[in-house]
Amino acid sequence: MTPAKQRKGKVKNVRELDPVTFEVLRNSFSNAVELMAQQFRLTCHSFVIYAQDFSCALADANGDTVSQGEQDIAVQVGTQHLVCKNIIEQFKDDIHPGDVFVSNDPYAGGSHFNDVRVLRPIFVDQELIAWAMANGHWSDVGGSVPGSFDVKAREHFGEGLRISPVRIWSRGEFRSDVAKLIVGNTRAPEDNMSDLNAQSEATRVCEREILRLVGRYGKDVVTLAFAEVICHVANLFRARISELDDGTWTTSDYLDSDPAHGEGMIPITVSLTIKGDQLSYDLSKSSPAVSSFMNSAAGATLSGIIAGTKRFFPDIPINAGLINSIEVELGPTGSVINAAWPTAVSGFVSGSFEKVINAIFELWSEIMPERAIACSFNLEYLLIGGRDVRFDHRPIFMWYDWMVGGWGARNGYDGASAASPLFGAGFASQPIEGQERLNPVVTTHCRIVVDSGGPGEFRGGCGVEKGGQLTDAELPVMSYCCDRSRSIPWGTKGGLPSTPQGLWLNPESSRSEYRGAVFSNVELVSGDAFSRPSAGGGGFGDPLDRNLGAVLDDVIDGYVTPERAAIDYGVVIDSSDPLIHNWTLDQEATSHQREYIRTNRESWLDADAEVIARRYRAGELAQFDLIRQYGVIVEWGTGDLLPETTRQHRELIKKRSVSGWRL
Amino acid sequence: MAKNEKVLRFRLSIDVGGTFTDVCAIDEVTSQLRTAKVPSSPTDPLTSVLNAISALEIDLAEVRLVTHSTTITTNALVTRDFPPAAMITTSGFRDVIEMRDGTQEDVWDSFREVGKPYIPRRDRYEISERIDYSGRVLTPINMDQAHDLAQLFTKRGIKTVAICFLNSYANASHERAMRESLLAVAPEMEISISSEILPGINEYERFSTTVANALLAALVSSYIGRLDEALRNQGYCGDLLMMHSGGGSMTAALAQRLPLRLAASSIAGGAMAAKYIAKQCGFQDAIAIDMGGTSTDITLIMNGEVRVVQQWCVEYGHPISFPSVELATIGSGGGTIAWVDKADALRSGPHSAGADPGPAAYGRGGRNATNTDANFYLGRLGNVLAGGAITLNAKDAERAITDNVADALELSVLDAALAIVQVADASTASAVRLLREARRSLSASAPLIVFGGAGPLHAVAVAKELNAPLVIVPPHPGNTSALGCLLVNIRHDFTAMFQSLVSGIDPGALEDQFASLEREARERLAFEGIPDQQILLERAVNMRYAGQWRSLTIAIGKGQDSIPDAVKRFQSDYQSQYAYLNPTAPIEVYQLALTATGQLPEVQFRKHEVIGGAPVRQSQRPVAFDEAGDFIATDIYSRSSLSAGMIVTGPAVIEQLDTTVLIPPGFKAQVDEWLNLRVSEVP
Repeated sequence: MTPAKQRKGKVKNVRELDPVTFEVLRNSFSNAVELMAQQFRLTCHSFVIYAQDFSCALADANGDTVSQGEQDIAVQVGTQHLVCKNIIEQFKDDIHPGDVFVSNDPYAGGSHFNDVRVLRPIFVDQELIAWAMANGHWSDVGGSVPGSFDVKAREHFGEGLRISPVRIWSRGEFRSDVAKLIVGNTRAPEDNMSDLNAQSEATRVCEREILRLVGRYGKDVVTLAFAEVICHVANLFRARISELDDGTWTTSDYLDSDPAHGEGMIPITVSLTIKGDQLSYDLSKSSPAVSSFMNSAAGATLSGIIAGTKRFFPDIPINAGLINSIEVELGPTGSVINAAWPTAVSGFVSGSFEKVINAIFELWSEIMPERAIACSFNLEYLLIGGRDVRFDHRPIFMWYDWMVGGWGARNGYDGASAASPLFGAGFASQPIEGQERLNPVVTTHCRIVVDSGGPGEFRGGCGVEKGGQLTDAELPVMSYCCDRSRSIPWGTKGGLPSTPQGLWLNPESSRSEYRGAVFSNVELVSGDAFSRPSAGGGGFGDPLDRNLGAVLDDVIDGYVTPERAAIDYGVVIDSSDPLIHNWTLDQEATSHQREYIRTNRESWLDADAEVIARRYRAGELAQFDLIRQYGVIVEWGTGDLLPETTRQHRELIKKRSVSGWRL
Repeated sequence: MAKNEKVLRFRLSIDVGGTFTDVCAIDEVTSQLRTAKVPSSPTDPLTSVLNAISALEIDLAEVRLVTHSTTITTNALVTRDFPPAAMITTSGFRDVIEMRDGTQEDVWDSFREVGKPYIPRRDRYEISERIDYSGRVLTPINMDQAHDLAQLFTKRGIKTVAICFLNSYANASHERAMRESLLAVAPEMEISISSEILPGINEYERFSTTVANALLAALVSSYIGRLDEALRNQGYCGDLLMMHSGGGSMTAALAQRLPLRLAASSIAGGAMAAKYIAKQCGFQDAIAIDMGGTSTDITLIMNGEVRVVQQWCVEYGHPISFPSVELATIGSGGGTIAWVDKADALRSGPHSAGADPGPAAYGRGGRNATNTDANFYLGRLGNVLAGGAITLNAKDAERAITDNVADALELSVLDAALAIVQVADASTASAVRLLREARRSLSASAPLIVFGGAGPLHAVAVAKELNAPLVIVPPHPGNTSALGCLLVNIRHDFTAMFQSLVSGIDPGALEDQFASLEREARERLAFEGIPDQQILLERAVNMRYAGQWRSLTIAIGKGQDSIPDAVKRFQSDYQSQYAYLNPTAPIEVYQLALTATGQLPEVQFRKHEVIGGAPVRQSQRPVAFDEAGDFIATDIYSRSSLSAGMIVTGPAVIEQLDTTVLIPPGFKAQVDEWLNLRVSEVP
């Protein structure tokens, strides 16, 4: 026996194709998808698509994904086949060469209305053999709020246009009446019409490639290769799962609140079971749907499950082999992760989606400690719309902005600072100079937030803060969505939480006002300023075990203040001349400080929360102290205690942080 | 005329790479090309240059022009061998180069992240100043702070500074004032200011480019100073030209201001050589493939030109917004490792055995099966490479293939070796396809021009996969960067912002903008000593459908019809590129581009008389080909024995010092008048 055959978890494959034909076709399928993605990227109009919010896939005749773009946005992966199967089911035999379908229905496998999916069936001599799909986030699909995110929506009717599957090309004829109906219900009809076109043409590139392969290898070999490529991924994945110990792990991550039910965080509960080579998830214990647009429907939740799992198996391609190897139980519809029509779901990314991913991270961190990672910041997005009076024709402007933030610390490494969200690690933020030309908003600052990384032996990545001021705008209104103003990104294995998100109007002025994590259509005037932080990532490991040199470096670089170095890490650093980086570490004081924290820190978490809130209001304690040392969550603007949220937060700190502390 | 005055008869080019230094000289009297290759000095590139020149046995006093490409800047960026440096930026924005656009290169692996900024946060300083989008001053620059910074840098021993202010592309006065303030205190400081280095919108790319430029300034200045002196000491009296990433050269004086432009100059040299060979063989379009030990570079030549992109990087997250030849690099080379995954699929790469331990057959302890091992097992490679520098061991190669591939897939060693090479060839073809798709108007009959130690072994199979009718193997496939360097003109690319719907363009404003770009171009070429009659200026506009984010570069003339003509060209290019049109959508211009060339006299190579005759084989050995499936007795030829007009019919192997050419059954190689091998299917 060679060593190769003794590998644990080896699954013997029965494959008809010879190794070369198989590997060449496997590569060719992914190449066909990359070619399609490349054309889409080069011809798109939506700036959200340009920022990489799109995905492309090739499916077989049944709609099972054969190959998916390697750079695809996380939020759309693992859902293409649902839309494809939905179309197959609806149109059955009424699918013809030259047809192209479009759908954005989140209740039928889609993610949210902005993600418009274009699907082209591929035929060989009247026989349907495959589907090419190009999906992209249109910057607007109608609804009551520009950008199609109405944070107050309870039902989808105000959110945007729901496109249940329709045929946009019929046997090679463009159905411009249907297309016009669709784009005519949006705020960007020209751009959307162009993107509809660009998407449809991109799928044609994939079709051309598949037909080239059929010409070279024959239809039967190509369709056999579809099946074997799917099987290959299933075997790869099952082999890896079978190497792991059996067991069941459960955790919850939380939404800030349900607006209809006062304060108190809303759990999304994920159970993971490994048995033999079978991986299963159970999310059926999650809360009922919340009365905002933060819910996710089944397809979007599945995408979170696939994307979260993939991060622990980054080398395994996504196709039906992976998707079908994972059993998922979402429980009955009507929950926050299995929302039913017509529950609002447009805010699912900031809502349920990234919570599902972080919960999955926590579970896999137990199973694969070498890849363990704490909680990361949450996607946040801001929109200011109005008229730009810098120009005589006073054009409408839409300042649509999203930020980078901190990722969770990892076992052995600090977290990534100022990175794109879990929603899509390839999703690019926008240049400030470009924004200033296009909008009457001056960015006052955009910088890494000191002390924002969750303390730990390995520090969470830092969040950023971006501030702006309206200059020459008429009737400007602002909408915002971020979550995680109360459900703070958590640390693990002794690591501490990071920082909350939420927007301040006119900060550092007499008119200062905390507007929180979710609001819409707030009226502003020129001259108004605003600022908002993105959260850092949670810490990993006991911060009192952090290497002293690493803390010193963080202080010199301005990632951590000397004050928080003492409070969070117990490291005492003095400076004679900070300008020339002349810092010194006080070893003795550090030993004392660490001992003091070690002895007392558990008791701080039992301090009277009302007293702590009062001291916050009096300016004696900082937000950091409340979150990290006392485990107290308040309404950050007023300082009013949130008792239930605090109880939950303390429970979570005990579970994730205290349990990892050495006495 | 003094008796001892020498005739300036040579043009010389030197490429210093990581492993070897190549040198080419053309004798302008006889049109004879001389080449040499010496190992690069691990410590000092100047030593490599001088060694290479002496290997060529040329008197520098007889050299009219020296052009040089080097990897020193790329290496400094890769190893981050930088001097102490600081960045000064607008208050509130010191993290622009750390935040970037937030994206990760690996979008799925949480344990692979983008490298830290070139200048750490502690050395990035803020100053109170602000300019708005239109160039209006919102906050005047605080000159007291500026002065304090100058003092502080002196105290800290910082002599390298990048000045990067927000919106400085619209108003450079604050950046200039900052620079003056520093120079007043420390005149020797090396300072790059973003409004001069890259006067365009978007802070991340501009700052990143400026920072990298500043960090290389001291290195390049000192290197060029030493090189210049060493050449002059040996009697050279001409200009020193430096190859840049955009596929042209620039004078040493300008290179000291824009040192970052030297990064990737070797690669650009290779691309320019490919362009030249395509033209020499009569092709407007070609695909150039350079396959070495660990990677393959692919470049397209279209309409006789190598495409230039406006942005590239040495390391993801650190964009360099200078023109650079368009190139795709994949991790596929001689040392690429073949392996069988846990679900029994045969994979090629991306890991490579590198130079150490190298392929198993090198006998240096490598256990993995590489392309080289497979090629050697198949008899395609002989057991002696590089003129005896490397000998290959058959047992080690066979064992690696058996252990890693054949046993796992239950194949014979022969079938496993064939499979390894076929999978590698298919992945190279896929990479070409991706690049060709982005430039879909490339002619379907474009030939493959192949370089590198491993390229000519794989070329015919890749060409078959791509339906390319012809493979061209130049006489010195291992010497292309130096060759390209010898051939280029002085070239600069300029761009200016100009955003307008085509329907609303004011022709006067357009002309003014181009005229101003042309002034800048002439000034730069005058600074380099190029006389007016040698200056060629070519205008282009970047056009797109209004609302799109990517554009096509369209040549534009002068005068009344220039805009409608450009629109016609845009429509036709768009159609051939993307296979569709938006006939009713408005079109916009969003950028003006100007290419300025300082034309140098064209290099003339010697044309060989085509005599023909029967080639004489050197030896015979069994070689396995894809087509035959088993070993067959195959003639082995020495490249140096082949003269113009000879035809080698496959199956055959042609060996030379720097590569091995495989001619499968059914193919033939014809030696042309430039001594290129032209390999094509026997009709």
